[in-house]
Amino acid sequence: MSDMAKEKAARLLKKRGSLSSLGSHEVRAKETAGKTKDSISTVSYIDEPGQHDDNQRHAVQMENTYQLGPVKRFPAMAVNNILKDVLTSYLQEEKYEAELCRQMTKTISEVIKARVKDLMIPRYKIIVLISIGQLSEQNMRFGSRCLWDAGSDTFSSYTFKNSSLFAVANVYAVYYE
Amino acid sequence: MEEYHSGDESWHPLILRLPLQCIEGIIGGMDYNQNKVNQWTASIVEHSLTTLVKQGKHFKYIVNCAIMQKSGAGLHTASSCYWDITTDGSCTVRWENRTMYCVVSVFAVAVSL
Repeated sequence: MSDMAKEKAARLLKKRGSLSSLGSHEVRAKETAGKTKDSISTVSYIDEPGQHDDNQRHAVQMENTYQLGPVKRFPAMAVNNILKDVLTSYLQEEKYEAELCRQMTKTISEVIKARVKDLMIPRYKIIVLISIGQLSEQNMRFGSRCLWDAGSDTFSSYTFKNSSLFAVANVYAVYYE
Repeated sequence: MEEYHSGDESWHPLILRLPLQCIEGIIGGMDYNQNKVNQWTASIVEHSLTTLVKQGKHFKYIVNCAIMQKSGAGLHTASSCYWDITTDGSCTVRWENRTMYCVVSVFAVAVSL
């Protein structure tokens, strides 16, 4: 996909109100690279301030809900089953291939987000993070820390492995007061 | 110093680069070491989180860190988020040196006050 086509697709998705992660690193508004003596780093983020439409710049002022906590709590176990389901069905027979897995990560993250949204838990924001990697001689470590309200926010995680690849899926649910 | 109002996301670029300095400070110049990687991920994540919190913005943060040994294997990461794009944002930092890759993702979700 050419750069122009990519940007057009990104703008179209933004207009529809959903900025899909169709680019894990393709829809990048800004990327800066840095180099030190023996390491290279890149920083990228999805939103670029100033690219939103004017009427979206001002956040909506919310009225007080007078609710002390979530009415319906996020079902971490149900989400765990969703993750197990989706990862197994999509990846059971697959072998690691760069292009396939690149598409697969994007597709799977969208599918999981859609299925979690279908649970219709009100006032929860959802973040889905997927990593698919090749199984070889390497070692790797994933770590995650969250600063949130432990009474209302939660997460769910699942790891899938077959003979040539592994996949880690994390879903974070943050309550919007 | 500019005034940042809630809903004004122009601070995203500045703040969400802080994890990069944390990574540099903790594993910059080191080689991949199986015994220490557990400690490294924990410190990177905690340090990034405390630095972000010190900025004093009313956000909930989720910081995710992956450290992988360089062996020719491939890794793909994707994220999909259902949130308010006027107030929430995310940032991913990819860092590598001779022996390992480090990918840190920070998600910031607004809290209404």
